[in-house]
Amino acid sequence: MKLKLNINNRYYNANIDADESLLDVLRHLGFKSVKKGCDTGTCGVCSVLIDGEPILSCQFLAARAEGHKITTVEGLGEKADEIIDVIINEGADQCGYCGPALVLTTYAMKQELKNPTVEKINHYLAGNLCRCSGYEGQLRGIKKYMGVE
Amino acid sequence: MRFEKYIRPQNFEEALQILKSDQNSVILGGTTFLRLSDRKYSTGIDLSDLGLDFIKEVNDQIEIGAYTSLRKIETDPIINKNFGNLLPKSIENLIGIQFRNNATIGGAIFGRLGFTEIITALLVLDCELEFEENGKVDFNEFISNWNIKRDILKKIIIKKKQGKSSYKMMRNSSADFPILSVAVSNFDTIKIAVGTRPSIAKLSEKASQLINSDNNKINEAVNLITDEFKFGDDLRAGKEYRKNIAPILVKRALQEVLI
Ligand SMILES: Cc1cc2nc3c(=O)[nH]c(=O)nc-3n(C[C@H](O)[C@H](O)[C@H](O)COP(=O)(O)OP(=O)(O)OC[C@H]3O[C@@H](n4cnc5c(N)ncnc54)[C@H](O)[C@@H]3O)c2cc1C
Repeated sequence: MKLKLNINNRYYNANIDADESLLDVLRHLGFKSVKKGCDTGTCGVCSVLIDGEPILSCQFLAARAEGHKITTVEGLGEKADEIIDVIINEGADQCGYCGPALVLTTYAMKQELKNPTVEKINHYLAGNLCRCSGYEGQLRGIKKYMGVE
Repeated sequence: MRFEKYIRPQNFEEALQILKSDQNSVILGGTTFLRLSDRKYSTGIDLSDLGLDFIKEVNDQIEIGAYTSLRKIETDPIINKNFGNLLPKSIENLIGIQFRNNATIGGAIFGRLGFTEIITALLVLDCELEFEENGKVDFNEFISNWNIKRDILKKIIIKKKQGKSSYKMMRNSSADFPILSVAVSNFDTIKIAVGTRPSIAKLSEKASQLINSDNNKINEAVNLITDEFKFGDDLRAGKEYRKNIAPILVKRALQEVLI
């Protein structure tokens, strides 16, 4: 089936299978920042924003994405740099595989949480797994970005 | 899951007609669970255009549309105001917020999985389901008798009640599947549900009867739990472990609602 997707404020035409995941379609369209990890909805590396809300693109049907605004980390531009910088400054970016999804989810968290606390940050990011950093360094940077002591 | 055709019906009659005429069609919720099976369907029916994403107060009840995401339920002020944190607590450990932004309450209920914690929580509320073909059905009846197999779940209707409730669970790590789930409410009467045993949640009869007859008999009521429910083994916990944990969780929950 044919559809038109709004990705990072640009329209893309795609010819998809009826049951194809948004993850596969995004990667076919060249958005390689969206990673394929577990492909079962548990690791978080395929996260993208749909109308500003983080979702797992491995579970989300591409056919359903038409009419919504899809944001990948490329679409955040300088807003992504701000988050990447605080993480890098803590020496917390290692293999980088989980990075784009973590940046997107952190960005969405900043928009959503009115009174962030360490507990709320941990809860919000529980679905973003990282197999190398041990989370502490990332969290130090993210706390700074969120303005949490 | 695979399907060949994707359809977005424009009304409930059309959706039900497709579901009934084609036994190999499937209703798509958030597809979080459906995706994991390798079953091949002919048609995926997407109900997104039917206005099923809502939470509203209607007189003395709260209505939740079947396509409402679990995340919305977790954070909604109407839900939090009315049932304390019973429903949010039964959702908040499910993987991560990305998952919960996509998973729907309709899919969670209709899937009738043993580890679906919101089923345990809804059992202790006064709850009905509204289907397109079967009309209104008591929640406990739907969960206990598997007689509705193909229908469209439209909304979940919960009566507002004054009182206390408590949700307790046990899991190996924060986003893992639960090992056991317990919900207790104290509205007009005390209700106790135990789920993930690992089979689907069920309401207690004997322990509830005893505690309702005498609120001081917490220990005696809790002692009935291990005999009243069947516990089993799975990858995450053994039957004996569950048998030992269940009374403790029920006791803690009862103490909270009886203070
Ligand atoms: C990896 C993983 C981990 C999980 N961990 C937990 C956990 O820790 N705790 C917990 O409580 N739960 C857990 N779950 C279960 C989870 O609650 C449900 O699987 C999920 O919420 C299903 O929602 P969905 O909208 O994606 O349903 P789908 O997968 O889309 O559908 C599930 C079933 O419901 C049917 N259906 C959907 N909507 C309707 C409707 N409106 N009318 C009729 N039928 C409908 C579908 O046809 C299908 O049969 C987990 C699931 C997965 C996949």
